Amino acid sequence: MSAKALKIGATAAVVVAALSGLLFSTLREDTQFYKHVDEVMNDPSAWHGRRLQLHGYVAGIERKRSSLEYRFNVQSNGSVVQASYTGVVPDTFKEGAEVVLKGTLGADGFHVERNGVMAKCPSKYEPSKGVLPNTSGS
Amino acid sequence: MPALGNALLLAAFIACAYAIAASVAGARRRSTRLIESGTGAYYLITALMTVASGVMVHAFVTNNYAIKYVQRYSEAAQPLAYKIASYWGGLDGSVMFWVFLLGVFGSLAVYTNRERHRELIPYVVAVLATTQMFFILLMVVHNNPFSTFLTAPPRDGRGLSPLLQNFYMAIHPPSLYTGLVAMTIPYAFGMAALITGHLDDAWLRAVRRWTMIGWLALSFGLTLGMLWAYEELGWGGYWAWDPVENAGLLPWFTATAFLHSVMVQERRGMLRVWNVTLVITTFFLTIFATFMTRSGVVQSVHAFGEDRELARLFTIFMILIVTFSFGLVIHRLPLLRSRNELDSWVSREAAFLANNWILLFSAFFVLFATMFPTLSELVTGERLTVGPPFFNKWMLPIGLALLALTGVGPLLAWRKSTISNLVEQFLYPVIFAFVVAGGLVALGVRVWSSGVCFALCAFVFGTIAQEFIRGAEVRRAASGSDRLTAMIGLVSRSKRRYGGYIVHVGIALMFLGFAGEGFKQEAEKILRPGEQFTVAHFTIRHEALRVTSDAQKQMITGHVSVLDGDKPIGTMEPAKWFYAKREQEPTTEVAIRRGVSEDLYIVLAGYEAADQSATYAVTINPLVNWIWLGFAIMALGTGLALLPESALAFVAAKVPSGAATASVLLLMLLLPSLARAQTPDATRAVLRKQLEGEILCTCGCRRPMNDCPMEPNCHGLDAQRAKLDKYVVEQGMERDQVLAAFAADYGTQAILARPIDKGFNRLAWVFPYLVGLVSAAGAVVIARRWSRNAEPEAAAPASQEDEALRSRLDDELRDLD
Repeated sequence: MSAKALKIGATAAVVVAALSGLLFSTLREDTQFYKHVDEVMNDPSAWHGRRLQLHGYVAGIERKRSSLEYRFNVQSNGSVVQASYTGVVPDTFKEGAEVVLKGTLGADGFHVERNGVMAKCPSKYEPSKGVLPNTSGS
Repeated sequence: MPALGNALLLAAFIACAYAIAASVAGARRRSTRLIESGTGAYYLITALMTVASGVMVHAFVTNNYAIKYVQRYSEAAQPLAYKIASYWGGLDGSVMFWVFLLGVFGSLAVYTNRERHRELIPYVVAVLATTQMFFILLMVVHNNPFSTFLTAPPRDGRGLSPLLQNFYMAIHPPSLYTGLVAMTIPYAFGMAALITGHLDDAWLRAVRRWTMIGWLALSFGLTLGMLWAYEELGWGGYWAWDPVENAGLLPWFTATAFLHSVMVQERRGMLRVWNVTLVITTFFLTIFATFMTRSGVVQSVHAFGEDRELARLFTIFMILIVTFSFGLVIHRLPLLRSRNELDSWVSREAAFLANNWILLFSAFFVLFATMFPTLSELVTGERLTVGPPFFNKWMLPIGLALLALTGVGPLLAWRKSTISNLVEQFLYPVIFAFVVAGGLVALGVRVWSSGVCFALCAFVFGTIAQEFIRGAEVRRAASGSDRLTAMIGLVSRSKRRYGGYIVHVGIALMFLGFAGEGFKQEAEKILRPGEQFTVAHFTIRHEALRVTSDAQKQMITGHVSVLDGDKPIGTMEPAKWFYAKREQEPTTEVAIRRGVSEDLYIVLAGYEAADQSATYAVTINPLVNWIWLGFAIMALGTGLALLPESALAFVAAKVPSGAATASVLLLMLLLPSLARAQTPDATRAVLRKQLEGEILCTCGCRRPMNDCPMEPNCHGLDAQRAKLDKYVVEQGMERDQVLAAFAADYGTQAILARPIDKGFNRLAWVFPYLVGLVSAAGAVVIARRWSRNAEPEAAAPASQEDEALRSRLDDELRDLD
């Protein structure tokens, strides 16, 4: 009985160790930091090239005529970063909207990846409803 | 009214307390009177909650905005169906709905098992009532759905979120709740078995059935959720690993695991601790799912918002559940010792075990990844997030492994498979899988995961076909009937087994649909009127942008004509709707052209009123519809497995050999002639008549055409009739087209007796299934009555013997063939 328990225990330990090893190694590739604009802009160079989810408020949206190229500023607590995005934006993406952007920070601003704009609706009713669907943490 | 609602909730709370006390006391003192009084009190809770639900629905229907909850989730202009659906549209109401459902299911379970599991019933009642008491407590102290405004109530409500005003959304939460709630019943029985120490396998029988019901409802809810996301949210997919979706998936994994491992316990008396653990875990996860979606612990699209107090209450409840349940398991460990050891790793038990581990790991993984942002913030103070790619990276191989096991499991024998029967069993399915894989490579499929998935699906189909054919052959040889009759006899004799196989077919079809995801194509473009662009083999041309409105909303519709190659295949109308009360949250009305091989999915992503241009996001989703079809088949299989033992007995017992084949052939002969019997003219006249009831007369009476009080001297009616004739008889339009044409002619849907309600039009889609279900249920009832009357005594001992014989035969057959 104890030999059997040992066997099972050893197998379980190996399997668990292997899986958690795998889990954490893949986790490292796929995690994104969830940051507010001011946290990042304190020391922008530290964040260059890293995948981020950036939280802030939109201002000064510019769109190139007849294209889906957007340029806008994201701000929070006084810090501002310029962001660029090409693609379809959610309906709630407006001046002053609270957004979470997925993308990478470069020297020339924040590059939002495809389908990387999530906007919260400004409505006060039910704050969690009506956000863009394609999200997991907004 | 709100006062009545409050009183009912309080009364239900007290009834819960009494039901618990009386049942436990009754069981300990062995007093039948006390036990019965406890059970009675439990039925009373259900009655009280039913009345309370009635009060709530009444308040919604009569627009009683004095109640805060009603004011918040409803408005006068909302269609009736959505007013009723608003009952579970918000947090407070959904908790109440939960208690109501649990009451209904609990009462049903207690009632049907009151004789068979007499000794368990008092504790079952106590556990169920405790759970209900917790949720009623939540309502009474924290989220009272009946709380009213202290000041004068507002004139109108805020309205249900437009995203929720959708047919699937109206029925998706109830079915998901049904699934979650039904899992409480196995838990209650499990706990009762642990408390009383009656741990023979009898309690499993009651539990298995309820788990199956819950599992079916949960699958239904999840599928509807996918449909909703697909049709309403407009991002071109159906599953985004959103925390709330995951919350529903977690108990699904463990329940699936349980449904498999329970067979091992029934057959071999193994895995007994494991099964109890799975029942507890499943229940715990349902509570956890409720907690996750309602407390704001994780952030999600459709969570109910943050609530610390609620989170605290839930945490206490969950800790109590875990301590109590697992404490009992440890206490009863000596009684739960396994009766057998695993003989070989090449056996069905082992396959089930592997399946269980994988399912459990899936549940653990999804839980971990869902909670990861919360966990990382807790541990490091840094909020880290993981997205769908991380989920997909892990769940893809896990899913494929499960699919492979779906095929392997049924091919292995119980106890131990020998080399020769391995070869025998695996030969054809494996060949079939390789043929499909080779064909795919030859055709140039280069998405490896989808390719592997297709091959595995082929393997599963091969396995199941082989099982059916071999079983039917054996039976045919034994009974001397023809193949089809033998097949039906086979299925009716072991409904669980063959029902299970049908479920597997459904699962494999769903995987087929998931694999289609690998060939998805997306594109987006801004188009001015008359411009076009091409995605895959479809050409999309933007014709015009139109603005229309009705009482609730303004609708901006893009009119698109679609060409397949050079061939025009029709027009599509993606739209954006702006509800008057919530202009900041427009809803996306996706236009979908469904097909067997692929869906064309067009979203109006943006528009420019100035130059009438529109931005279209176009997605081509291959094989998506197989997911929904797969679910339908899965439901069919589960239904079959759920049928009572005697339901199909008449097929095996009474129908003469050859009758089944003959009747199917006859039916096939009859069907086309039936279809032909309805001449086109007759259907036109019927349609015309029906439409008269749906279009308003224009004389000012505001009544449908067939109900105009000015008849026969009505000037408006004549014009309308001529127009209706033109559309229906001359141009041969269908109902929806006619309605749309009328609405277009008058520039508003006000001309229709009822607004065109896209969501509820889909009822037409559900209707045939409903009719099928109802008639199937009817047939079962009749069949049972027949078989009961005919041979009241002779059947009973025979079927008992059958049971034992069948299981033995099963084992021996496998070794033989």
